[in-house]
Amino acid sequence: MFMFKKHIPRRAVLKGGGAALLLPFLDAMVPAATAMAQTAANPKLRAGFFYIPHGAVQFDTKFGPEGDRWTPSGSGASYTLNTITQPLEPFKRYVSTIGNLENAASAGSVHVRNPGSWLNCSTPTTTIDQIIAGKIGQETTLPSIEVASETTVQQAAGNGTATAITLSFRGTTPLPMEYNPKKVFNALFGVTTPKERVLNARESDSLLDLVLDRARTFRSELGAADRAALDQYLESVREIERRIAIVAATDISSMKIPERPVGELDDFDKQVDLIFDLLAIAYQADLTRVASYVMVAEGTNQTYTHIGVPESFHPISHHANELPKIEQVVKIQTWHMERFAAFLKKMAETRDGDGSLLDHSIFLYGSNMGNSDKHSNWPIPTVLAGAGNGGMKLGGQHIDLKQRTPLANVHLTLLRKFGIEQSAFADSTGVISEL
Amino acid sequence: MQAAAQSGTPAGASHLALLTTYCYSCHNPRTRMGGLTLQGLDPRAVGSDAEIWEKAVRKLRGRQMPPPGSPQPEQKDIDAFVGWMEDQLDANPRAPKAGYVGLQRLNRTEYAAAVKELVGIEIVARDVLPQDTAVDGFDNIASALTVSPTFVEQYVEAARMIAKKAIGDRSLDSTSYPAAAHRGTEAMPLGLRDGGMRLKHNFPVDGDYRFNILFPDQTLGLYTGSLENEATLVLMIDGRVVFRKPIGGLDDLMLNNRKAGDGRQQIADRFRNVSLPIQAGVREVVVGWIDRSRFESLSNQAGGGGGLPNFNSIEIKGPYNPTGAVSTEGRKLIYVCDPKTTSEARCARQIAENLSRRAFRRPVTEADLARLMPFFEAGRKEGDFDRGIERLVAAVLVSPDFLYRTIRGNALTDYELATRLSFFLWNTGPDEELFALAASGKLRTPAVLDGQVTRLLADPKASSLVTNFAMKWLGLDGLAAHTPDQQIFAGFNDQLRLDLVIEAESFIHSVLLENRPLVDLLTSDRTYLNDRIARHYGLPGINGTQFRWVTLADTNRAGLLGKGAILMRTSYPDRTSPVLRGAWVLDKILGTPPTPPPPGVESDLSQRAGEKPATVRARLEQHRASPTCAQCHGVIDPLGLALENFDAVGQFRTTDRQAGNQPIDASTVLPTGRPLHGPVELRAYLAADPAKFAQAFTEKLLMYAVSRELEYFDMPQVRTVVRGAARDQYTLSSIVRGLVRSDAFLKQGAAH
Repeated sequence: MFMFKKHIPRRAVLKGGGAALLLPFLDAMVPAATAMAQTAANPKLRAGFFYIPHGAVQFDTKFGPEGDRWTPSGSGASYTLNTITQPLEPFKRYVSTIGNLENAASAGSVHVRNPGSWLNCSTPTTTIDQIIAGKIGQETTLPSIEVASETTVQQAAGNGTATAITLSFRGTTPLPMEYNPKKVFNALFGVTTPKERVLNARESDSLLDLVLDRARTFRSELGAADRAALDQYLESVREIERRIAIVAATDISSMKIPERPVGELDDFDKQVDLIFDLLAIAYQADLTRVASYVMVAEGTNQTYTHIGVPESFHPISHHANELPKIEQVVKIQTWHMERFAAFLKKMAETRDGDGSLLDHSIFLYGSNMGNSDKHSNWPIPTVLAGAGNGGMKLGGQHIDLKQRTPLANVHLTLLRKFGIEQSAFADSTGVISEL
Repeated sequence: MQAAAQSGTPAGASHLALLTTYCYSCHNPRTRMGGLTLQGLDPRAVGSDAEIWEKAVRKLRGRQMPPPGSPQPEQKDIDAFVGWMEDQLDANPRAPKAGYVGLQRLNRTEYAAAVKELVGIEIVARDVLPQDTAVDGFDNIASALTVSPTFVEQYVEAARMIAKKAIGDRSLDSTSYPAAAHRGTEAMPLGLRDGGMRLKHNFPVDGDYRFNILFPDQTLGLYTGSLENEATLVLMIDGRVVFRKPIGGLDDLMLNNRKAGDGRQQIADRFRNVSLPIQAGVREVVVGWIDRSRFESLSNQAGGGGGLPNFNSIEIKGPYNPTGAVSTEGRKLIYVCDPKTTSEARCARQIAENLSRRAFRRPVTEADLARLMPFFEAGRKEGDFDRGIERLVAAVLVSPDFLYRTIRGNALTDYELATRLSFFLWNTGPDEELFALAASGKLRTPAVLDGQVTRLLADPKASSLVTNFAMKWLGLDGLAAHTPDQQIFAGFNDQLRLDLVIEAESFIHSVLLENRPLVDLLTSDRTYLNDRIARHYGLPGINGTQFRWVTLADTNRAGLLGKGAILMRTSYPDRTSPVLRGAWVLDKILGTPPTPPPPGVESDLSQRAGEKPATVRARLEQHRASPTCAQCHGVIDPLGLALENFDAVGQFRTTDRQAGNQPIDASTVLPTGRPLHGPVELRAYLAADPAKFAQAFTEKLLMYAVSRELEYFDMPQVRTVVRGAARDQYTLSSIVRGLVRSDAFLKQGAAH
């Protein structure tokens, strides 16, 4: 639900349901969005990466395949979802689930390297979202957006270590995941009115000129090691210069901009929905085409009282093969899938040129852990959704790969779908032809 | 073996014999247990093997090797070997003396502190800049402070916003303070209950300002009948009540019942557009509730649903009808001259010179001014003098010279030293006195350096050593994310958690900055608490929510190991964890952290459904029966088990109500064979070796001071500092004095 500060009775909003209320509002923005180089003949492909920590309850608990609550089966008409994946039912034509993936890069990580090795299958190096942003993100204000529902600094996961706090790396630089909705909003729409936004952009531009000017002399005063650090800083400065140029040239005053959120919400469930809403708006208004989202932090102590789970996610994910605990973990994992499904619903209902946003997107949803009780790095639960401008196989399918197929094969396949031809990615052994 | 046979001195022979007897059976070229070979290395000529021997010494000090279950040497033999081995390492001529610290950008707390110093603006760092990466919990490690596009974007935005606020203007502005970020971080004034907000707001000019006290949606948090009782909301400016209105009670209840949403709107409107005349300046704004004597459950406080309606943000809008000149803290710091008496151009130049010198932490050059002055000129052209200065301030704040600290040579220059010292002890750049000493070249004189350490530590800014160093070192800064299980610990709430953090922080502050022996952190019977903590700890006779120092009669509660914050931090939300507690003691107090759990290990000890409830201890013993687990847990668990008298929120207990009220057994046996019974004996055991604790502390402090991870070659210097601080009982100041004279602090190593 977008957070209006006043005059929207909560009950009415609840009754209306998130999407119902949001859609008219989103529709209001479509003219502005279409103005940004969107035509029916030329739909833009979007990418999204949605992360949930602590794996999924699969076939590798003490209860074996009987106890599997994640893995679907079959394909097409016989494609049957499981408990946790059930919320995908309305969109299953758009869904592929993949079994038996392994990520060698997160072996023995406990929690510290799981988020940061999900999208690169490696020690810190450029992640696939950033590779894709490099290809398709250059026309939009934000080449990519990185968000979270809560702080990703967690005691149980390295307490601020780079590989735990983010999904996204550019080179070895971790990209911070923003969890303050107000700052996410500001990144999308600016900190002030559209008119002032353009003036501010000009002012920022001259400030960046100063930075670049000074950096040239600064650089000559430094040794080789420090120059490399400065260059990485300058790369970011140039990127912002480019963004500012787009902002200065983009008139968003015709866009109906929603009210600025005040800040982080106290209720976790509303916070998750708000971040999803901001992403939906960003995709629709073509402010970005690539997003990565940590739905809840690795090693989190988040509780889920709104679905009757008062226990904290991380401790209870060490379920020790006890059924009551496993059931609570399944509830949490199902709830997250529901939120993702609600987002897919918005994407499916949002017109984008000749189709819907879901037709023009590829979304990866998953974890970088198999069995949370063992911190195992396989099987990595993985969902793909979206038609990908016709690039993805439709109809719904569970793809049962050879045991311990590298997760990097998924990444290599996705890169190809975005027109990035690479012969290999990380430890990949090939593409997944079924997708 | 051969090495033993070749040993020269008799002393060396016994040490080599210890290695032969206890180490070589695993750490030989064939077995290479843990990837380590000791056999074949000569500990009498450590040379290039120093890194390996430092590791070995650490494992022995922590009694982590030989692992439990293997034959154990006598403690006195271990002590003798460690002492001898450290002497070999300290005498190693081949070790480098300093590590390399590269280009270092300000982290966001340093940025906020520097901005406050420079232009008098208080910002909430996390609202302005993105999360920094941390190493080992510390967010000031140079190599981790990379720059993302998001950082640059927010950084430039911040510079413009801060410059505008620092100069101030008469235009209508609106600032909103969400309760989530501002509630409860500071105690409410006496007479107000918890759950209000206390903040500082900059009023740029005399005039009228409108306050909107906003309630969530339109519900006023009414789900649980929060309007039933009348409560009084007050707005205070600088300690004076300027607005006061009741909410709730029979009339409001009727209004709500009769008119539903419209009624609630009427109630909420009473707290909107409250217009007040206010004089320019930074003023303290408090919005809160008058404390009442009637019983209210703790869970009703601080925004926990029920009990009271609660506002979720305050908006301050203004000025309306501004009069007089714009006056801000920033102007006092920035305007070192008056453009009306000095020529505008000259005054602007003076301002630029002064501000950039303070911001860049070095003398200003003509080239600096040539880059900055066009910003003044452009602003002057489009507006007035103030506008020119505003743009100048923004330009200074975005300059790489402000953002980055650098060390250019093999030894720190005087300015670099002033900067490193100031950031170490104050978390911000040098002041005028440090600057002058650097300029005169006197700062590095030992007597001057000592004097500056004393002066800096006496300044309130040194409290950054508690908030940015000690709280992070002890893992207490993330406690806000720790939520004890409400079903088990029903009396626990956010306010109490905050109180416990205040207790721990104040306690640490008093030991470190009032120059008490470091070991007081473990043993002191003084603590800082209020009635809520007293109730939580079961201490009688403490009334009122204000904090005060008390002497604890119960020795179980002494020092850090008796603090609720620590005990909670080392527990899971629903149960204690002797493993987490033991690991914490090993890492923080003994300086010998255990290695993380290997992959593929199932780590839960929760009781099985249908099983007779077992104590945490019993479940732990089950799994320690496995020899593989015992290798590490045989060292970790005993230390944690001694604290089993404290539950997962730090309350003292003698029985376990989660295990059918079985009696708590807090007795344990250390790997050395030494028995320990309960918290008091554990504390005495740890406090008996203050040098060990001081070394663990000094290592972390050095890491924080030089903004890099320590390397093996730092250890001889750490030991030197610790030995030097012994006669002062390892007070913070004695350790700091030693550190700032070390090569690790004064020099720059080669880049790698």
